[in-house]
Amino acid sequence: MGLGADGMNASAGGRRVATRYWRSLQELVDSPQFRKRMEEEFPGLAAELDNPATAATRRSFLKVMAASLALAGLTACRWPKERIMPFAYRPEGYVPGVPQNFATALELGGAALGVLVKSVDGRPIKIEGNPLHPSSLGAATAWAQAAVLELYDPERSTTLVRREGGQRRVPTWDDFLAYAGAQMAAFESRRGRGFAVLSEATSSPTVQGLRDALLTRLPEARWYEFEPVSRDAERTGLAQVYGTPLRARFHMHRAQVIVALDSDLLYGHPEALRHAREWGLARRGEDGAMPRLHAAEALLSVTGAAADHRLALPAGSIAALLLQIAAEVARGGVALPTGVGSLSPFAAGSPEADFAARAARDLLRAGQRGLVVVGPGQPADVHAVVAALNDALGAVGWTVTYVADPDPGRGPHLEAIGELAAGLAEGSVEALWVLGGNPAWDAPAELEFAQRLAACQQTLHLSLYDNETSRLCRWHLPRAHALESWGDVRAWDGTVSVVQPLIEPLYGGRTPAEVLAALLGESAFSAYDLTRRSFAARWGSGEDPWRQALSDGVVKGTAWSALAPRLSVEAVAEAAARLAVPPARGRELVLYADGKVYDGRFANSGWLQELPDPITTLTWDNAATLAPEDAKELGVKHGEVVRLTHAGRSVEAPVCVMPGQARGVVGLALGYGRQAGGSVAAGAGVNAYPLRTAAAPHVLAGAEVQRTGRRRLLATAQEHHVIDTLGMAERGRRVGSLIREASLSEYQRYPEFAKNPAWTNARPLWRKIQFKGEHQWGMAIDLSACIGCGACTIACQAENNIPVVGRKQVANGREMHWIRVDRYFAGDPSDPQVRFQPMPCQHCENAPCEAVCPVAATLHSEEGLNQMVYNRCVGTRYCSNNCPYKVRRFNFFNNFAKVPATTRMVFNPEVTVRGRGVMEKCTFCIQRIEAGKIAAKNQRRPLRDGEIVPACAQTCPTKAIVFGDLKDPDSEVSRLHRHPRAYGILEELFTKPRTLYLAKLTNPADVAGEGEASS
Amino acid sequence: MSAVPLRLDNTLETPGERAPLVLGDSSLAAITEQICEIAERPRPSRGWLLAFGVSASLTAVLFAMIGYLVWTGIGVWGVNQPVAWGFAIINFVFWVGIGHAGTLISAILFLFRQKWRTSINRFAEAMTIFAVMCAGLFPAIHVGRPWFEYWLAPLPNQMQMWPNFRSPLLWDVFAVSTYFTVSLMFWYMGMVPDLATLRDRATSKIRQIAYGIASLGWRGSGRHWHRYERAYLLLAALATPLVLSVHSVVSFDFAVSQLPGWHATIFPPYFVAGAIFSGFAMVLTLLIPVRRIFKLESLITPRHLDNMAKIILATGSMVGYSYIIEFFIAWYSGNPYESFTFLNRALGPYAWSYWIMFTCNAIIPQLLWFKRFRQSPWLLLVISIFVNIGMWFERFVIVVTSLSRDFLPSSWGFYVPTWVDILTLLGSFGLFFTFFLLFLRYLPIVAMAEVKSVVPAAGLELGPHRGHGQYWGEIPHQHDEEEGR
Repeated sequence: MGLGADGMNASAGGRRVATRYWRSLQELVDSPQFRKRMEEEFPGLAAELDNPATAATRRSFLKVMAASLALAGLTACRWPKERIMPFAYRPEGYVPGVPQNFATALELGGAALGVLVKSVDGRPIKIEGNPLHPSSLGAATAWAQAAVLELYDPERSTTLVRREGGQRRVPTWDDFLAYAGAQMAAFESRRGRGFAVLSEATSSPTVQGLRDALLTRLPEARWYEFEPVSRDAERTGLAQVYGTPLRARFHMHRAQVIVALDSDLLYGHPEALRHAREWGLARRGEDGAMPRLHAAEALLSVTGAAADHRLALPAGSIAALLLQIAAEVARGGVALPTGVGSLSPFAAGSPEADFAARAARDLLRAGQRGLVVVGPGQPADVHAVVAALNDALGAVGWTVTYVADPDPGRGPHLEAIGELAAGLAEGSVEALWVLGGNPAWDAPAELEFAQRLAACQQTLHLSLYDNETSRLCRWHLPRAHALESWGDVRAWDGTVSVVQPLIEPLYGGRTPAEVLAALLGESAFSAYDLTRRSFAARWGSGEDPWRQALSDGVVKGTAWSALAPRLSVEAVAEAAARLAVPPARGRELVLYADGKVYDGRFANSGWLQELPDPITTLTWDNAATLAPEDAKELGVKHGEVVRLTHAGRSVEAPVCVMPGQARGVVGLALGYGRQAGGSVAAGAGVNAYPLRTAAAPHVLAGAEVQRTGRRRLLATAQEHHVIDTLGMAERGRRVGSLIREASLSEYQRYPEFAKNPAWTNARPLWRKIQFKGEHQWGMAIDLSACIGCGACTIACQAENNIPVVGRKQVANGREMHWIRVDRYFAGDPSDPQVRFQPMPCQHCENAPCEAVCPVAATLHSEEGLNQMVYNRCVGTRYCSNNCPYKVRRFNFFNNFAKVPATTRMVFNPEVTVRGRGVMEKCTFCIQRIEAGKIAAKNQRRPLRDGEIVPACAQTCPTKAIVFGDLKDPDSEVSRLHRHPRAYGILEELFTKPRTLYLAKLTNPADVAGEGEASS
Repeated sequence: MSAVPLRLDNTLETPGERAPLVLGDSSLAAITEQICEIAERPRPSRGWLLAFGVSASLTAVLFAMIGYLVWTGIGVWGVNQPVAWGFAIINFVFWVGIGHAGTLISAILFLFRQKWRTSINRFAEAMTIFAVMCAGLFPAIHVGRPWFEYWLAPLPNQMQMWPNFRSPLLWDVFAVSTYFTVSLMFWYMGMVPDLATLRDRATSKIRQIAYGIASLGWRGSGRHWHRYERAYLLLAALATPLVLSVHSVVSFDFAVSQLPGWHATIFPPYFVAGAIFSGFAMVLTLLIPVRRIFKLESLITPRHLDNMAKIILATGSMVGYSYIIEFFIAWYSGNPYESFTFLNRALGPYAWSYWIMFTCNAIIPQLLWFKRFRQSPWLLLVISIFVNIGMWFERFVIVVTSLSRDFLPSSWGFYVPTWVDILTLLGSFGLFFTFFLLFLRYLPIVAMAEVKSVVPAAGLELGPHRGHGQYWGEIPHQHDEEEGR
């Protein structure tokens, strides 16, 4: 037990011993392990033990214990005491066991995403996009869907913590209120001098109101806002040329030609879901037209993968490419500000020049239907020139609109954090309240923010987790999760949503608004009252607007209107002049926000960690991505650990060889390698923040790569090992028939290009199986629309209680996702084309899995579903062997054995939680099918097309997945099954899949430049 | 027992003269003495104890691994998606294949009146039984939920569910269990007269009772011999098709599926040939040391070894032919998946296993064209061990390489066995050898009664109607006893 040793330490520590008796108990009380356990088990008692007035005697210990036991019956309930009462009357619209949907919103980086949360008997279990919300349109990103898992994370902070003199104590909220009052009193007399608040980006009008109130009372207090991943470069760039910070909004469906420069606008943008929707609908070529996308980027992105023309180019050369495009545009007769359009950095005939010429030719042809977009990693000057280019094309107001920045007065995030760090260093900041965020971990490295923060005596951190920053702060307050809180947020376009709680705070957390209210000494220390007050003041008092907002999830008409700003030609010229320097030489390191864990805040989510990265298919890790040629040059292989050094700082990361990456570029995702991120995040990836400085937050020129000779097993969802030449060649041969594609002009000439008459007309040897069901379910997946984002995988995971298996099991090919997104490369490895193919169970009519199961555990329903009977399955795994699509998933272990009780609340009660030793697979969301059928039957009406939507189709941002009844000839899915582009994958096996793919259409310019980018 | 006076080469075929099947002192009493003595030694030799200790320990390891597996889940093995079958199925097919030699020797050679079989059939049959026991273990433990295994049996049940008769795994259940039952009956029934001899010679009460019970009251009467011969013949006729069917059905597990590399019509004959090949190799692997240790060279003569080597050569050539024809068919079929599967076998990431298989099974046995290799027991032992290794790898190649790269390149994977896989395989050898050592210690390892029917004293040279199984109306041994020969 080590008790003796601990006891000795305790005595050595010189703690006062209250009585000679119970000496061993005293020792026990003083041991760190016991202290820790005490705090976990009896948070109040631990504080009691520290109180010298009531120094824990046996008597007081027993008193407290007795009281706890007596109250245990009350405190064990999750609901607050005042609400525990049976329903005398059932609330209207509530049927126990029937799921209810509530509209709310989730915020990331100051932009809201409206969602609908499915709640079963008071338990939120599934998040879907809110169709009324302009940033969602019904879709939801992976992180938004995983919020429900975060809610139930047992490792979230459960108590307030005070850290002082190496001690960790657990105060109460009353203690905090007293502290907040004292802080206010102390600083109010000094007009707030020395007091600072560091907030994460927030769009909440309530918080902004409280901020203003705070700054009124403490005029000399400072309010800083910091986000490690921010779009400030765009904001600054637009401010340069338009005089005021603006927010750009892009309209993909109006664009005929899009030129994306280092921009992942389909995946890494606050409005990415809307962009993807508009893109997906426009790319089907239904009316003979589709937009053309030119992308130039350093790292292969989702947007780059969707591009018709893609150029792999170091991020540092993007500015030069932009100038080249501008020059070509200017040559085409479009008037551009001076300094823009006079420079052609790339020699004619180079791939860059070709790309620029082609992009410019298309832009000129498109005119106002052209759109140039640049990513947030590029400097403000690039944004300024792009704004000028869009302006010159006439695109402003058409494919790009500008709205006012919600907070024009704030400085850029990187400046704010630098100022704060300086203030901490020189002592001008004496008290710092950190609301959200994790600056000790993700602030620019040269600021040494963690040391500065630790040195500050009066610090407070409000956070979901007791994380790296919390551990350096004197106070830590548990934050209420978005699904537990009242609040208000604004979308990227300004639309207001009310955040409503789905559940009482599980761990008693509070929102930033409540904490600010406490500081201000507001009598209403309740997020509901604060939100309600703020709402009434802005968008109408009374019940009706409030209830309407809660019901819709949006407040109608609150989107900011588009502005018609005036471009400053001089500013553009200045920006262009600054850009007209040759790009830095040497290897370039590109740091980017991860698509799953973002800046690291979602690192403790098993769903997100296990979601394969769309491009690398990596799970549970980030990696230093390298172009194949660079890897060969450096002599490193996939999985080998390299040391990346920049400006004297270095991190070690495993190599992931990525075709399509620009030469001389190393990519590394932020957000991994958390030190205090929780048990799920522990050991996942490497921390890239130590390399990141305010001067070079995204693109680090002059980085070095050194071999270490060590290796790390990377868990990729595809190619679980490095593939050999033979396999690579064969894969290249097969991709063409698995993912059929044609250019738009080829499609117009040969609409049936995807059909293989040899197989579609072939007669099988056996009689076709007749299904007698009233409905015949089928699916169609449009590969033209799919961008490979993986939202479907998370939706399916949440809907169907799919277990998380961990990096070791993924590395061994045991991931459980029912729908995976296959990623293939085609063509030259240095300039590959990327193709995605979502792969759920194909529900073959002639299912090979069914014939071989010895116990008949997998069978066909009369409605054409291939069903898996879990409790009949003995686990021979023969079905999996015989499945040509390998979509069956086996429970090699009891995957739920170690799921904590809190996390189990996330389970969908309508889906069986599978035990060990059974096979499972996509069911087409049979629980949703049955629910839809029952609803229709109860209402005595036939099922409507589109009424039943599986989780994957529901959340698909591009609406690439369509599900429905094939027996209904007018259903959307029937129409798509009859579509000339429809084909079945591996149709030569006569499995007769019920899932058909719609062949991919691309829209490249012809070699001769004749290709019309039409719309 | 008297020493073997001279080393007579009975492998020469002299026209007009039958080579003797048994050498040395072939009096009936000497044979009885020689065989019974092995089972009657008061205490086992040090070598036996050592071997038994090792085998029993490995058996304990096997059961520990099974316990761990059942407690934790199939995940303790290396199997994954897409390679959902691994060592368990490889070992199953391997052991079933081994289990082919015994019944082939006993039944088919019996029907073909290959009298040389008498010296080795008991031994080979015992090996068959133990191998099939090892084999049967693996399908039982390889399923995800072994406690519901009985659902594979067509038992009437409250669920009103029959198993799926379309599934080859179900056919397997029937084929292997039938084969095991018939083989066991055949082995045991053939042993009854010898067990009675041991009973009669028993000097301790325990042995008397044990052998007494096991010999089912055999008195060696004419009527007994008559029934015995009839039953033996019938069982031989019953077992003969099973030899061919069981491995054909095992091959259906693969051939009926549509996986490239499995879906091949050549599989049934190819598997049967391979099974006989591996079975004979295993018989030789075991027989050569045993023959030496127990000084059975006079009963198990170089001619026996030579004959077995010829069968190995024949079946090995069939297997080699199959390997080559598979490639031809893969190309000739024009099926791109199939072509790739075979290229991938020979050149892909598992090429090493393919070339181990090809070398051990198709090339090394070709040495048996040379008489020297057929008749030198130790060379033969080495070759037979190579064949055993090669045949294990054949199953590895079929199961793993085909699964690891099937239709969709996105789902290609790689299989690496875990320590549990490897210890389970070793443990199955432990189980096999434990049974085998017990057999060597307590049971008549050569079919005395049958050998006696082919020694010169049996008068085999005197006419056609002599010997076990030669004349089905007469009861030859009865006369031998009466005449006091």
